[in-house]
Amino acid sequence: MIIVRSRLLALGVTLMASALVTAPVAVSASASPAPARAAEATSGQDGKVLRIGVSREVDTLNPFMSITLMGTSILRSQFEFLTTYSQGSMTPEGALAEKWETSEDKLTWTYHIRKDVKWSDGKPVTAKDAAWTFQKMLDDETARTANGSYITQWESVTATDDWTLKIKTKVPQATMDALDIPIVPEHVWSKMSDISAAPEFPMVGNGPYYITEFKEAQFTKMKANKNYWRGAPKVDEIHFVYYSNSDAAVSALQSGEVDLINPLTPTQYDALQGEPDIQLNNAQNRRFNELLINPGAATNDGTPIGNGNPALKDVKLRQAIAQAIDTKTLVDKVWSGYATEAAGYIPPMFKDFAWEPTGDQVRKFDLDAANKALDEAGYKKGQDGVRLDKQGKPLNLRLLTHAERDIDENASPFIKGWLKEIGIEVTIEPKSDNQVNEETTRGEYDLAISGWSANPDPDYVLSLQTCANRPNADGTGATPDSFLCNEEYDELYAKQLSEFDRSKRIDIVKQMQALLYDEATLVIFGYDNALEAFRKDKFEGFPQQPTGSGVIMFQQSYWGLLGATPKGEGPVPVYDGSQGTESGEDTTDAAAEESSNTGLILGIVGGVLVVVLVVGLLVARGRRKTADDRE
Amino acid sequence: MTVPKNQPSPRALAWRRRGAAFTAGWREFAKQRAGLVGLGLLAVIVLLAILAPVITDREGLDVTKATGDRMESPSWEFLLGTDRPGRSVLLLTLWSARISLTVGFVATLLSVAIGTIIGILAAHYGRWVSAGLMRITDFFLVLPSLVLAIALSTVLERGIGTIILAIGLTSWPSAARLVRAQTLTIEARPYIERARALGGGHFHVISKHVLPAVLPLVFVNTTLAVGSAIVAESTLSFLGLGDPDPMRPSWGSMLRSAWLDSAIIAGAWWYLLPPGIAIGIVVLAFTMCGRALESVLNPRLREG
Amino acid sequence: MSDILTPTEEALAEAPPPTRGGGALRYVLTKIGGGLVSFALVIVLGFLLFRALPGDVVATMFRGRPATPEMIANLKHQYGLDLPLWQQFVNYVGDLLRGDLGDSYVYRVPVWQKIEERFWPTVLLVGVSTLISVALGLWMGTRSGWRRGSRFDRISTGVALALWSTPTFWLGMLLLAATTGLFPTAGIVYSDTPPDFFSQALDIAHHMVLPTITMVAVTYAQYQLVMRSSLIEEMGADYLTTARAKGLRDDEVRRKHAVPNALLPTVTLVFLHLGFVIAGAISVETVFSWPGLGRLTYDALRVGDLPLLQGTFVVLAGAVIVMNVFADLLYRVLDPRVRAA
Repeated sequence: MIIVRSRLLALGVTLMASALVTAPVAVSASASPAPARAAEATSGQDGKVLRIGVSREVDTLNPFMSITLMGTSILRSQFEFLTTYSQGSMTPEGALAEKWETSEDKLTWTYHIRKDVKWSDGKPVTAKDAAWTFQKMLDDETARTANGSYITQWESVTATDDWTLKIKTKVPQATMDALDIPIVPEHVWSKMSDISAAPEFPMVGNGPYYITEFKEAQFTKMKANKNYWRGAPKVDEIHFVYYSNSDAAVSALQSGEVDLINPLTPTQYDALQGEPDIQLNNAQNRRFNELLINPGAATNDGTPIGNGNPALKDVKLRQAIAQAIDTKTLVDKVWSGYATEAAGYIPPMFKDFAWEPTGDQVRKFDLDAANKALDEAGYKKGQDGVRLDKQGKPLNLRLLTHAERDIDENASPFIKGWLKEIGIEVTIEPKSDNQVNEETTRGEYDLAISGWSANPDPDYVLSLQTCANRPNADGTGATPDSFLCNEEYDELYAKQLSEFDRSKRIDIVKQMQALLYDEATLVIFGYDNALEAFRKDKFEGFPQQPTGSGVIMFQQSYWGLLGATPKGEGPVPVYDGSQGTESGEDTTDAAAEESSNTGLILGIVGGVLVVVLVVGLLVARGRRKTADDRE
Repeated sequence: MTVPKNQPSPRALAWRRRGAAFTAGWREFAKQRAGLVGLGLLAVIVLLAILAPVITDREGLDVTKATGDRMESPSWEFLLGTDRPGRSVLLLTLWSARISLTVGFVATLLSVAIGTIIGILAAHYGRWVSAGLMRITDFFLVLPSLVLAIALSTVLERGIGTIILAIGLTSWPSAARLVRAQTLTIEARPYIERARALGGGHFHVISKHVLPAVLPLVFVNTTLAVGSAIVAESTLSFLGLGDPDPMRPSWGSMLRSAWLDSAIIAGAWWYLLPPGIAIGIVVLAFTMCGRALESVLNPRLREG
Repeated sequence: MSDILTPTEEALAEAPPPTRGGGALRYVLTKIGGGLVSFALVIVLGFLLFRALPGDVVATMFRGRPATPEMIANLKHQYGLDLPLWQQFVNYVGDLLRGDLGDSYVYRVPVWQKIEERFWPTVLLVGVSTLISVALGLWMGTRSGWRRGSRFDRISTGVALALWSTPTFWLGMLLLAATTGLFPTAGIVYSDTPPDFFSQALDIAHHMVLPTITMVAVTYAQYQLVMRSSLIEEMGADYLTTARAKGLRDDEVRRKHAVPNALLPTVTLVFLHLGFVIAGAISVETVFSWPGLGRLTYDALRVGDLPLLQGTFVVLAGAVIVMNVFADLLYRVLDPRVRAA
């Protein structure tokens, strides 16, 4: 019995070892790893696949429930909205709605639905689908989970006929021509008993692609919608491949396992530079990064909340902190130059509204000046070089950061270092995203790193700094940003909202930014670029938003994916807003097709290595046998 | 066996006996080359860690004072290259030793202290106390300690204290079982019975007889456990639960930075290797010492 | 973790005491009862630990998007987060008994479904690497223990100790750096692999190479060292001398007597160290983006998905407890000394 057992064991060992060792041989032999696979996929008869490496997770693909960036981005290609944002100027343009008009009182909106749009199952898309979707949201609390904010002020939705949709609102609503609400097919969704359930695949859609398979933490697959009203895309399938570690996505791009990745860190971007088959895209982004300085948080009725250091109520202290932040060094060191140096609240991408300080107002990075200002303001240095506040307590500030976010991890040591130079001790406290959000909402911070993505219309980001946007009495609700409450700012905010002359509105918005700059409840410390890369040996290119300088992934629309152009299939389309048509822009460089030998070589090397291993193992076993038997 | 009046006091005798045992033990230890090498390595590393403020400038850890470029490869100025903000990796590795070793030592002391107390109590009191304590020990022994440590470090404020607590509170059960087994053997010996018969209370028996007898074992266990604690610290720091202060790096947090900063993609081996090798050497040194000590205690394990 | 290098005797100090007569059933019941008590403790601990985690998940879910306070309140109500803590506990235990682990905040699906998806990849990874590392450890341990002091012994013990001393995640990172391009660096299967069984299996095996090597490298050492020392102890035993005196060849003595006896405690130790293996799995799954429970635990913790955390905690700890009860029972079946009594 014992012998049997030990034999079995030996057998087990061999089996396991050989299974592990030979599997890669078989794989490398049959399809030498990655590059060869990719070539197969793009040149094969049965379909061109665009594989996108992503490192953000999908929460759910239910359009009523999905709220994460990845989920909503995928759904943008699955379901058409009434309107979308144009490729060139990111302004609202017709999508499902061909045109729309509003009544005199701006309370009734009429949308004319395009007549030539079909669902991916062939049925026509009508105003009734849109009406059903919106009515469902009005009736069912659960269906409001993701996009409920758009419809809180709606009174009614009716489809007067198959091609006309009427929406009545209770108050005038500025976002009515930019409703980011996916419109679902009534004939599918009305049969679902639970509107929040995970959808079934393939999912019937009317966007350029429809989802066919979803494996959580692994991939989402989409197929091209041949019925798409703007014309079928040039690729047949899109695979969003999930990499929980962005370095893995980069190696996958290098070896050709994926064709496109976003986002890249500056280090990764630089490491990819000079790779012959990889095209990099350094795109201007609509994000700003800010350091919040708690000016004494309070609820929207003025009751103080939170535990921010009271010393920060002094605007002189806040300004000194702002002056001690070297935005130039941050651009160089944190973003390796792939960013724009800080100026005003609105990112420079939105040229009209962007503002930068001039003349006396400029607060140049100057530690001596900051020190001097603090000396004059009466913050004396204690024995250990740390300044004392007006009550004689040393100035120890907490800096709340998002754990594992590249910007936060890299910028916070710098902020700590500079503030130490002006006699302020900083403790860095990295927390999970939700902890950061909760603590900033409740005002439980001294300093915090934050940031927002601005929209073409600055209204939303401007509203963040109003008194009304502070949380309500129980400390929840709303998403306050810096807890600023400034009468003048609020007046200007109301004024710009009702100003219909664009240039006058721009003036007001700039005044507001100047005011924010002086108040220093937030310090803008830079606008980082979106860094992406794709394989130019497989793809000609992708439409960017804005055209030529913008991003491919995570657009405010689906242009990048819709216009994905495989190698050798002509110019990358430009969607210039002349509905449904596209114009070409020839960017084809006549690079000869390089046969991808590396894959083959790697495969062979891998195979040889494994064979050597197997042989070694066998020899070792043989030697043991003889050694055993000799005795 | 009566003690004649002119003999030294029992306490002095006991100490003399212990002194002799220690000398013999050291002689035995000194015979083990691996143990000596480990001890030597440890001595050098601890010395370097202690002297770090004397031989180097702490200012070099401040990113705003960094003089190097992003991930510079090794040169005469930076023997082990630089990290992403341009700080010297050699300097970072040296200063990290302070935190990694401190956490390793203190967390182990904590866990061994808990383990020893619980182990002795469980063996000494028997019955219900023993059953209850061992139930808890078994429970913590099987719990995946890393999962528990992650949870603890998330609930509490991040920092060195939390890491020490998380490691200490999750790694004591093996020490408890070891000590309990040893205590059971010792308490079965006749001299404990004699001490009881002579009226020795629980406290007397535990502090005068059991504790001194289990201490050598506890010492060996501590030596072996420091290595594990250092690895545990590096894992927790790598997962992002370490001390976030850039002026207080540890080997684990260095590796986390290297990982997040794409040192692999950038080919910055000088950023990736030193902290890992440092962990390996220190853990190996502790293990070699521990094994040598172990074989001093357990002659059957001796080589030859 | 530290006891792996100490003699098996101590590690297994809790070996079941010999009982008489009808003790077998009682022994089994005691062990299973103990397991149940441990499990109850896990459930309580799971609740206390994770409900105490700070953070407002619901607010996070709307970060960067316009949301009304009403919408936030609705979601909170939906998840029962507005109830007092004791009531949340009662609900939690009740649901758990019905096999309901709640809904994940982030993924909006039942936690159970999430765990089911991630369960098999982890079983596959942990299973295969444990098998390999046990086999490798036993084989190397036997060889080096039997020829103590030989070159093989010195080198293999040295290598094992060195590998055991390195942090798992670091070893994984080194492998990633060293094998660039040879093996997939993340995930379990390519998205465009044909769906037939054979291609899928091959692709999974291909993806498993690096994570498995990493897991094996850090775990086999303990089995080798324990096997080695337990064989050395076994070799000092009188019956081996007797066996030799009977004229058995050295090789036979080893195969028939010494190894089987030394094997028992080592194999049992495999189960006792499952918690350690799971710790390794968390690091490995993080480094190689393996879609398993370890990675799920870490992700859930990072975003603060409480029900998901509770779920993975209960399942991981539960699995380890079950395996330990199993180990106790197995030990009784296997060990002739216990059986004879």
